[in-house]
Amino acid sequence: MKTHIKELRARYDLTQETLARKVGVRRETILFIEKGNYNPSLQLAHDIAKALQTTIDNLFIFEDQ
Amino acid sequence: MKGKKEIIVATVLVAMVLLTLFSYLMGTGEIEFNQILLVGIVLILVALAMYIIWDKIKNVQKGLPAKDERIISINYKAGYYGFTAAIWSVVLIPTIIDIIFGYELDGGDISAIVVLISGFVFVVSYLYLYRKGK
Repeated sequence: MKTHIKELRARYDLTQETLARKVGVRRETILFIEKGNYNPSLQLAHDIAKALQTTIDNLFIFEDQ
Repeated sequence: MKGKKEIIVATVLVAMVLLTLFSYLMGTGEIEFNQILLVGIVLILVALAMYIIWDKIKNVQKGLPAKDERIISINYKAGYYGFTAAIWSVVLIPTIIDIIFGYELDGGDISAIVVLISGFVFVVSYLYLYRKGK
């Protein structure tokens, strides 16, 4: 699953570590979500969207399988 | 705080394993090849466990959690693989050794092999899933 996390982080000048601290996860978890290697829980997706002042719909690019 | 407690407990466990190993080696007269092999596997497991602990310490020092939902999920998956490996090794290892070497293992040997194999599979799959991301 692709995401817009990297672009939004850049917009708000947030590092992976800062975002990770904001949502209470490890830095690597943010990295793997950005790379599309890890699908976060709905709660974590909500927390990331909130931290980046957007919605889950705008944050993730859902592709039909 | 919870993460710190886990790190302390894990460090104490690693120290106890090393101490047990040391006292076992000191109590053994001549060390046979299979003992060297077992000690080697235990040392590899200890080294991998120390890497996991070090990784947690690194995160706690940065103010990040020692574990999050991804790490918990990895733990469950690796635990499942370790458990499956334990069950299969109970059945397969004595049979294979009996067929190939014609040697019947006693209960103690089988228990030791099962613990080592499941521990090894757990740590290896944990590290693999950790690097892969899921």
